Amino acid sequence: MKKEEIGLEAALDDLERIVSELEEGKMGLEESLDLYEKGMKLVKLCNARLEGAERRIESLTGEVPPDLI
Amino acid sequence: MTQIFTVTDLNERIKDRLENDPRLHDLWAQGEVSNFVHHRSGHRYFTLKDRDSQISCVLFKNQADRLGFDLKDGLNILVYGDIAVYRPQGRVQLVARGIKQDVGLGFRHLQFEALKKKLAGEGLFDLERKRALPRYPERIGIVTSPQGAALRDVLRIIGPYPARIILSPAQVQGDGAEESIVSALLALQGLTDVVIVCRGGGSTEDLWCFNSEAVARAIIGCDSPVISAVGHETDVTIADFVADMRAATPTAAAKMAVPDIGELIEWLQQSEVRMMRALWTSLERKEERLEYLRHSISARRMYSLAADARQRLDYLGERLAAALVAELRARRGRLELAQGRLAAVGPRATLLRGYSVVRSNHGLILRAEDARPGEVVELILGEGRLICRVLEIKDGSEVFLA
Repeated sequence: MKKEEIGLEAALDDLERIVSELEEGKMGLEESLDLYEKGMKLVKLCNARLEGAERRIESLTGEVPPDLI
Repeated sequence: MTQIFTVTDLNERIKDRLENDPRLHDLWAQGEVSNFVHHRSGHRYFTLKDRDSQISCVLFKNQADRLGFDLKDGLNILVYGDIAVYRPQGRVQLVARGIKQDVGLGFRHLQFEALKKKLAGEGLFDLERKRALPRYPERIGIVTSPQGAALRDVLRIIGPYPARIILSPAQVQGDGAEESIVSALLALQGLTDVVIVCRGGGSTEDLWCFNSEAVARAIIGCDSPVISAVGHETDVTIADFVADMRAATPTAAAKMAVPDIGELIEWLQQSEVRMMRALWTSLERKEERLEYLRHSISARRMYSLAADARQRLDYLGERLAAALVAELRARRGRLELAQGRLAAVGPRATLLRGYSVVRSNHGLILRAEDARPGEVVELILGEGRLICRVLEIKDGSEVFLA
């Protein structure tokens, strides 16, 4: 899984799937641990996306009004 | 040089000028009927007026007969026709080719309804063609005026949500607004995950550009889902009908476009907790299983199992012994019975009834001739024996048994 390429939507979808799979509890311990690790990575990734990102406004024509930057 | 016209020439000139102007042909005019006259020629004459002005109208007989309703003073109507000049009186008049009753909503409303019907007929309002909005858009296109409050409302709601916001500026009212909106939509092609087309409240006039067919088709042509938010809650435009989602206001549109970032972060935290809990539960379950298995094979349990087996063995042993005794008893009973029956058919009982068995060294003596005189024979009686010597041999015919 390449962190840079996965979109927020895909990451959240993956995370949702992992959480419910873990909650079903049908897997072996090893597998559960693997999934847990994967899930935590996704949580971190999404948090970073949500908290770290700055809003980027661009305008196709003309300037972005200064009060919006 | 000053030119002096005759009245006729002047009116002729006015007539030429007006009747050759294409903007004064095929037009719709809206107003109230007054001074209605149904001339005996069959033509109808009336004045069309509004609050501030009036114009003479004529409806010729052949058109008037197809009208479908009666013209009368005070009626609000929409007149379709051409401007002409009636030279004898120098009167500018509207020659009606068709008249519709105006139910108070005006011609624009008719136009709106006609376009709505046309687009609906093409299936462009069908729910099946509405596209679902992406849950987490990464590129949000906004078509609106860069100066408008609508844009600021949208941006305020989007807040810190991490998306690229691509503003495609458009003029959202006045002449040229339609074309401006259309090209702004076109410019976003291939650049967005979702598009918001919006403007704030305004008069019906101001919002009218969103009722244009060109704008409607540009919205349909967008390669990502479009949210429309034009004016206030009560303003519904053609753009709203063709958009994939209609929002009552720009603020509502922005709320539809992006998830609430606070909720999202909370959801992430919950996911973390849920995963942790699931993992613990899974560990606990495994531990419980281990504990169960460990318990199953413990020495104590083995001992208890052995005790159980021993007890069972004892029990079975007891049952076996009891069964053997019973069997033995049954057999003894049967033996005694058999002995009794055997005794009944054996010689002893007969002997006890007074018979005896005689035998010599040569065996049983059944006939008198089997013995010789002077021979010693043995008599076996019911009880005991007699050893005797034969004195005489006699013929059996003299013997009588009592």
